[in-house]
Amino acid sequence: MIFENIMLATSELMTVSTMLLMIVGVVAGLIAGAIPGFTIAMAVVLVLPFTFGMTAVQGLATMIGVYVGGLSGGLMSGILTGIPGTPSSVATTFDGFPLARSGRPGLALGLGVWASFFGGVISAIVLVMVAPQLARIGQEFQPWDYFALMAFALTVTASLAGDNMVKGLIAGLVGLLVATVGEDAVVGVPRFTFGSDAVQQGFAFLPVLIGLFAFTRLLSDVQDPKKAQDNLGAHSAESVRIEHMKAAKAVLSRWGNLIRSSLIGVFTGVLPAAGSSISNILAYDQAKKYSKEPEKFGTGTVDGIVAPESANNATAGGALIMMMALGIPGDIVTAVMLGALLIHDVVPSPTFITEQPTIAYAIFIAFFLANFTMLAMQSLTLRGFVAVTRVRMYMLASIILFYCALGVFALNNVQFDMWTLFWFGVGGFIMRSLGFPIVPVILGVVLGNIAENALAQVIAISTDPTMFLIRPWSLFFIILGLFSSFFHVYQKNRAIKRWTLGFIPAMCVFLSIPMFMMEGVVRPVLGVGFGLFGLYLIVQRARAGWKLPEPEPVMEVGDL
Amino acid sequence: MNRLNRDTIIAVILLLLVGFFTYTSFAIKTPVFEKLAPGQMGPGFWPRIILTGLGIMGLIYLFQSIISPPPPAEKRRGLVGWYRHYKNPIWCFAIFAAFLTIIPVLGMLLSGLVFVFTLMSMLGPKDGAAIKRHILTTLGTVGGMWFIFACLLEVQLPKGSLTGAFDEWLLVNVCGIVSSIGELFANVGPSCSILLASVWGVER
Repeated sequence: MIFENIMLATSELMTVSTMLLMIVGVVAGLIAGAIPGFTIAMAVVLVLPFTFGMTAVQGLATMIGVYVGGLSGGLMSGILTGIPGTPSSVATTFDGFPLARSGRPGLALGLGVWASFFGGVISAIVLVMVAPQLARIGQEFQPWDYFALMAFALTVTASLAGDNMVKGLIAGLVGLLVATVGEDAVVGVPRFTFGSDAVQQGFAFLPVLIGLFAFTRLLSDVQDPKKAQDNLGAHSAESVRIEHMKAAKAVLSRWGNLIRSSLIGVFTGVLPAAGSSISNILAYDQAKKYSKEPEKFGTGTVDGIVAPESANNATAGGALIMMMALGIPGDIVTAVMLGALLIHDVVPSPTFITEQPTIAYAIFIAFFLANFTMLAMQSLTLRGFVAVTRVRMYMLASIILFYCALGVFALNNVQFDMWTLFWFGVGGFIMRSLGFPIVPVILGVVLGNIAENALAQVIAISTDPTMFLIRPWSLFFIILGLFSSFFHVYQKNRAIKRWTLGFIPAMCVFLSIPMFMMEGVVRPVLGVGFGLFGLYLIVQRARAGWKLPEPEPVMEVGDL
Repeated sequence: MNRLNRDTIIAVILLLLVGFFTYTSFAIKTPVFEKLAPGQMGPGFWPRIILTGLGIMGLIYLFQSIISPPPPAEKRRGLVGWYRHYKNPIWCFAIFAAFLTIIPVLGMLLSGLVFVFTLMSMLGPKDGAAIKRHILTTLGTVGGMWFIFACLLEVQLPKGSLTGAFDEWLLVNVCGIVSSIGELFANVGPSCSILLASVWGVER
């Protein structure tokens, strides 16, 4: 039956016109993703009217092309200019930009492209193989679990803050406070608007993101008058060539990071409203935590590019699972796709896969093919984007600032959004100059409303705080959040202090408790395995007399 | 103990802001006609949770700044030194603010041209060759982006109160030509397909 459906869907999809439309979609997505201020959602919205005259499969294939292209396009501007084209490539800039600046933009871009490709393919495989199971996990989530998940995501700010955790947490809380401006979601009362009608609806996320990132990054680059007249790739004497072979090998050699980050991406995509803007940061954070040399993150490490790029492309697969299995959009893009399905008289519901198998499997295959198309098209368009590195910084900064203003305006056709961009630019620049990290502010703005809504639902159902400890997913995220908060302390002291030997075993043992409490058979069995593994580590290390291990040498970017 | 340093001042400002916002948060009240149901979260509850966290962090930051030695990189600059250090960012902000202010007067296209050219000339070299390069780059990039957004994506970009007629003329003439070409293709396309199909049919 599955084979028949796959064959039927393939025959519908493998027509010249559909494939051409998908290629056009991928290129449009790549361009949209590469322009700071032009979001994937915006690109998909703009493409939607063009799909009215197409069949459902053609329309969805085009939109999936835009989606996958957009997720990958953000890495081009992120790596070459340090300004993420989309929120989903924020973490890519942390290591991609320094690596490009150190004279290896070809390798940085190659790593991004191949990580995106493998992330997308892994996510496509997961999508087809375990879609029903993953969708079931999403169904189990209650407000307590969502709030605990948000709290866990916020603990990420602690590790993103670098040396000064307090400044990082302050920045994260400032982001949360920014998200409270405007009408509250429960009763619609304006908060912190100070009588201004323009902020009644709150600050649009995009101007805030672009303001904090674009202004801060561009102004840091042009702050030094001499550096402002340099070009972005001033350190690379020879012309840039995308190092496909080296990049593909480097990505595959980090298969652990690749698979972990892709799974983080898929899992984040499954959860409604937690999209690629969160998954790339979570994956980066986890890669840093598992790295033997976390202090090198932010200076141009391979793992720092592989993690966010594989995760953000993998998120699309997860978001599609929710859209198809439950009819719940995982993010704005899948929400638009739901609209596209409705236009073609297809109502997404839990029975969608069984009732519309051709369309469902066409979506699976289109997603799979879009990743291959993205790889080919990005390889072609990247060469054009590498030319950006030869432009002088001050010229690029002037043009990008105008494009950002234009892109921000085009989102809602509101001039106030451009002022938001400006004021957050000023704020971000001042914060950065004073040593506050910017990423936690962004994370706070992203998570603020989701966390507040989850808390409002929690309080509406029950004011009993023990519910957070009774619900397995909530307890799971609380434990993960606690360990995540102290992970940077653990990493700083790893192989130096004895207590670090007990950190991972203790985490395994504690996490096994909520896993054991979960429904079904697989997860409790996994929980028991997790707990036993933790206990085994404790016994092993106790027998060895809690002896600290010798540090191991790690392959550097230069060794590639 | 450390004397007053930059971090201490920031911590104090942060705590003052937290105090101000906390005070303001008590003015957030649910309207009388919109009575909260039992167990419903009030609109000021969540901001106050955040502000409590910010207050605690601000106090820790203040304490840290007092007990720790000042960072070695912290140099004292006079007002002139401070201006020299931040000259380019200050000019960027000023020119960008001016750009946003003149948009309602000159429209997006002309304001954009003025903004990009002024900023390039301010930050870059000012010799004749550079100015020529700036003019050409500005015309190409701003014009190109305006064309994509206004003509291809059909975004209603702001028109100027002074240049409204010019903006309209551009839209009609530039975008009009594009849509005419599009219509031409739309009309010619099916005819060509029919012609090709008939030729192909005859050959078979």
